[in-house]
Amino acid sequence: MRHMGLVYTPARRVARHPLRWSGAALVVLALAVAGCGGSSASSPGASSGSTPKSGGTFTILANSAFGVADPAQNYTLEEWQLLIDTHNGLTGFAMVGGVPGTKIVPDLATSIPAPTNGGKTYVFHIRRGIKFSNGETLKPSDFVTTFERQFTVPGPTSFYSDIVGASACSTKGCDLSKGVVANDSAYTLTINLTQPDAEIMDQLALPFAYAVPANTSLKLTGNNVPPGTGPYMWKSYNPNTEAVLVRNPYFHVWSKVAEPAGYPNEIIEKYGLQVSNEVTEVENGEANEVFDGDQIPSDQLSQLNSAKYSDQVHVNTLTADWYFALNTKQPPFNNLEARQAINYAANRSAYVKIAGGPQLAVPACQILPPNFPSYKPYCPYTTGAQTVWSGPNLTKAKALVKASGTAGDKVVVDGTNDQVGTALVEQMVSDLNAIGYKATPQLLAAAVQYPFVQNSTNSTKWNVGWSAWYQDYPAPADFLNVLLGCGSIHANSDASPNIAAYCDPSTQSQINKAESEEATDPSAAAALWTQIDHEDTNAAPWVNMYNPKQIDFLSKNVHGYSWNPQWYILIDQLWLSS
Amino acid sequence: MATLLEQVEPDAGQPDAGLQPEIVGRNPWALAARRLRRNRIALAALILFLLIVVISFLAPVYAHDVAHISNPLGPNLNGTTVVGGKVVPVMQQGTGGLHLGETPIGPTWDLHHYFLGADDLGRDVASLLLYGGRSSLQIGISSAIICCGVATLLALIAGFFGGIVDAIISRIMDIIWAFPVYLLAICIATELLTHSNGIPIGPLKVSADNLWVPTFIIAFAYVSYVYRPIRGQVLSVVRKEFVEAAIAQGASNLRLMFSEILPNVVSTVIVLLPLMIATNILTESALSFLSVGVQPPNVSWGVIIGDGEDLLYTRPWVSLAPGIMIVLTVLALNVFGDGIRDALDPRAKLRVDG
Amino acid sequence: MLTFIVRRTLWTVLIMFVITVVVFIIFFKTPGVDPARAIAGRNSSPQILAEIRAQFGLNRPLPIQYLLMMKSLFINRNLVSYSNQGVLVVPEVGAAAPATLSLVFGAAIIWVIVAIAMGMAAALLRGTVLDPLLMIIALIGFSTPPFWAGTVANLISQGGLHNTPLFSWVPPLGYTSFTTSPSLWFRGLLIPWLTLSFLYIGFYARVLRANLIEIQNEDFVRTARAKGLRERRVLIRHTLRNSLVTFVSLFGLDFGALVGGGAILTEVVFGIHGVGFLTYQALTSLDLPTIMATVVFGAFFIVLANAVVDVGYAWLDPRVRPN
Repeated sequence: MRHMGLVYTPARRVARHPLRWSGAALVVLALAVAGCGGSSASSPGASSGSTPKSGGTFTILANSAFGVADPAQNYTLEEWQLLIDTHNGLTGFAMVGGVPGTKIVPDLATSIPAPTNGGKTYVFHIRRGIKFSNGETLKPSDFVTTFERQFTVPGPTSFYSDIVGASACSTKGCDLSKGVVANDSAYTLTINLTQPDAEIMDQLALPFAYAVPANTSLKLTGNNVPPGTGPYMWKSYNPNTEAVLVRNPYFHVWSKVAEPAGYPNEIIEKYGLQVSNEVTEVENGEANEVFDGDQIPSDQLSQLNSAKYSDQVHVNTLTADWYFALNTKQPPFNNLEARQAINYAANRSAYVKIAGGPQLAVPACQILPPNFPSYKPYCPYTTGAQTVWSGPNLTKAKALVKASGTAGDKVVVDGTNDQVGTALVEQMVSDLNAIGYKATPQLLAAAVQYPFVQNSTNSTKWNVGWSAWYQDYPAPADFLNVLLGCGSIHANSDASPNIAAYCDPSTQSQINKAESEEATDPSAAAALWTQIDHEDTNAAPWVNMYNPKQIDFLSKNVHGYSWNPQWYILIDQLWLSS
Repeated sequence: MATLLEQVEPDAGQPDAGLQPEIVGRNPWALAARRLRRNRIALAALILFLLIVVISFLAPVYAHDVAHISNPLGPNLNGTTVVGGKVVPVMQQGTGGLHLGETPIGPTWDLHHYFLGADDLGRDVASLLLYGGRSSLQIGISSAIICCGVATLLALIAGFFGGIVDAIISRIMDIIWAFPVYLLAICIATELLTHSNGIPIGPLKVSADNLWVPTFIIAFAYVSYVYRPIRGQVLSVVRKEFVEAAIAQGASNLRLMFSEILPNVVSTVIVLLPLMIATNILTESALSFLSVGVQPPNVSWGVIIGDGEDLLYTRPWVSLAPGIMIVLTVLALNVFGDGIRDALDPRAKLRVDG
Repeated sequence: MLTFIVRRTLWTVLIMFVITVVVFIIFFKTPGVDPARAIAGRNSSPQILAEIRAQFGLNRPLPIQYLLMMKSLFINRNLVSYSNQGVLVVPEVGAAAPATLSLVFGAAIIWVIVAIAMGMAAALLRGTVLDPLLMIIALIGFSTPPFWAGTVANLISQGGLHNTPLFSWVPPLGYTSFTTSPSLWFRGLLIPWLTLSFLYIGFYARVLRANLIEIQNEDFVRTARAKGLRERRVLIRHTLRNSLVTFVSLFGLDFGALVGGGAILTEVVFGIHGVGFLTYQALTSLDLPTIMATVVFGAFFIVLANAVVDVGYAWLDPRVRPN
């Protein structure tokens, strides 16, 4: 599961986020004025805010750690929320909340260059006078090592595979001297691509590309994070106990919007607690934040509705899908009518209840999530209007099953064996049985399930497989091509993101057209993506269940909350009152 | 059976045994049965246990006829029920604040409508409790029988033949005892789950949700636990004179093992059986709690406790009820087991501990 | 005696070998397990997976891989976890051991003292109503699943009653090492100690009581009574010592199993990051090196306890000595 988030909010939806953010902030400020630790909330509306103050230790509680800490390999939101405070890239997402947080701003580069050479060359000017946490000065050649590590350290490489020379790179070695050209005297960095890439600035803003010193080992550095240029530095990381971040003594602010100074003196993330106990600790003020990737059990969700936590709980929409992929290579779901049948029968309100209710999940039928570029509401799999899901259509579903001739077929529903995963699978089993299939559950540990459904050697063993997808950055290709494109099917591989193995040549040619039109005719490309989204939805390679929302639960003495659509909670922008 | 020896055996070891009046012609099993019948507490425990068994196996009757639920093991998230004359949804959205969360209904104490409330899938906890009992009891009883049977056979062979046979079998038992049962359970469960049509073993097709899987895992884990005391008993019996006498009479090995030694060991096994049922029920609940025991769509008491973890502070009855059932069942078995032991050997010479 | 020790040591090594081989085979037979993918991280290309396999020797025959793993586990002690390439497995287990030892030692002290007291009291008070009462309490302890007892303990101490003086001293779930804060260490372990010992108190009180009653009927006790000794002196000096033989041998086995990671459920329910908790995490993420290390750790203590108990038994009771 990718943990990423960037919301590109079309103009007509701008109103929502900033209002919600500033509303919460007003309440928070008012309470801060009223005094810390007070038991009764004063009335909101006091307009004189308290000043943010530096200091204190900010404690995050997480159920588990994020694996290896090397930024070249780590692909988790959990570490990324910390890496944006310790490292910087050529570009970055603006470190503010709301819609402005989706903007790409220059970070270690002085400005964002326009491409030359037919869109294949970018020349960045690197800022001078920036130091790593070990005292070394940042210079352009540091980026050469950074990009080469993308290929010498095992991990995702697809984002930077367009760099000249990347195709010859492997874990044995990598020579990007033609693709990433550093000039340490002129302080410039030139990136040469093999073909234009409309998404390059987004990709450079991901922590994979954040600068590390040139002498960093090209091998995996394990749990030792190389020095970075951010306001904080890694003091220690033990995945069984905690990670500790302290201030970087060499940091100064060069761009407030790209990398502001942080307020807490220390940031600690503790691992291994059960989520229910994390919530209890934050309720009692013994810690400051429940890691927002942890699912809060329904026990605690009802507690959080209490008035005393009203200024401590924040809910935000995510551009993500929770779905069941349908195995289009095996009966019965190699049959279009069968796939459409289960889409009509799927009880999305039940799935939403499993996710914690309508305030935490929105039923979905189509591929693209709301608030996403090219998203236009479309839901054919219901009774009534075709834009929003209002209920299952069992009559249509049963008719389609009959027409497909697949009634009575055995169906295996695969998912993870945790609380929510089990519940989702059992509900899907029930939905399938209701329209005449013979469904059985297949629950695997998460570490096993994720590669299991992707690998085609297991294709005969499952028919419906759970998965989830969170955007990497706001581009429709990130959903429509990565998850349903013909090129995303890798046979006999544990990394084949097109789990449904769905490939339609005419849709694929439209995808290719849209990608190439991005740079030349963006509005035509956008319209084409919308059309592709609706076509894919009609072909029903998935049963999309819902788009989830994220909860942030903070302790009473935390102020300055802002929600950035890419990184979610901005940790070092929070400050603590006594 | 050599009745002459039963007269002598119970009194052996007492210095003044010969002076006591002989109990002539009384079958020791009848004696034991009489002692058991007089033990009111043990009988009460037995009745409690049988009551639990009967109720559990009547689970479908309760679910369909009393609680009126057509699919007690399937989710019922959008369902409704009647509380105090009013129709209420089974899953209720959070009230107040941001209306987060969906909480299942709590206990209504009405046998016809969600007596103990609902779980996170909207299922009737009371029905689940009975179905869970069925699984837990089936696994506990059958694994105990298998375990004791296999252990007895192995102990007979090891104790009788002694020497290298004993050494090999005993060391194998040591290895099994040191083996992590959770690892075995997880790997077997994963293996079975990913063969969606089950793995053919001879004429059987074993699929992951088959209750025989945890049964055999638990039996395997405890076979060495039972083996030890029975082997000790076999060893002490083998040394007795009546066995030597039988050997002198030219008895074959098989006859010796099954006609001479086994009857003297079987009382140990009978004492162990209820204790092992109890132990196995506890182990099964632990494995199911960790999600490596009974698999959906089946439930067991341990599964329900695990499902209730996330609801512990708002709906404690989901976790409390199955735990109470386990305690009652295991307690009844232990008390009854004590009763059997006292009946078979009232002067507490047979101490089968460990 | 010496040959006995040598022979048992050899058997121990053999047992450990067999267990590690079986664990190894089981792991690789489990579908969905690919160490290369675990090492390479998410969404790696097939090319990278192939490179990893070559680099880590994962495409070599299984016996060679087994020997390599044993070498890095025992000799070099630099075995690295599959799910986190930055973690050395042996120090990880070593770091988790103090939590388990704290938990098990504390519980053991409580259960030994209470069980002896209960067992003796029940034997002494035989015939009164207190005997069956104590035994019922023992039985209930013995009949309660420990993870459920822990769940109920959490419900009471961490739930609504947490803010009352009765339970406000209970820290959040988790383990604090003694060196960090003795007070938190103690307060955080008290309820887990009581929960874990609840089960064993029940068992050992019954065992002791049964042994005491049995031995009280033996000749030498009758002799002591005939000599005019007080009942209590008879009990303590004569019967208790003999009864403790069984008690001690059983204790040795149970203690060994617990130290080796047998307290997995208590650790999981209370969030104590000991060896049992580590085992559970490794099992759910199918991280073979950590699984191997914890299995070896556990098996070692179980087998060691077996051997110590056997030696001790032979030393205490000459009748059992092999000749």
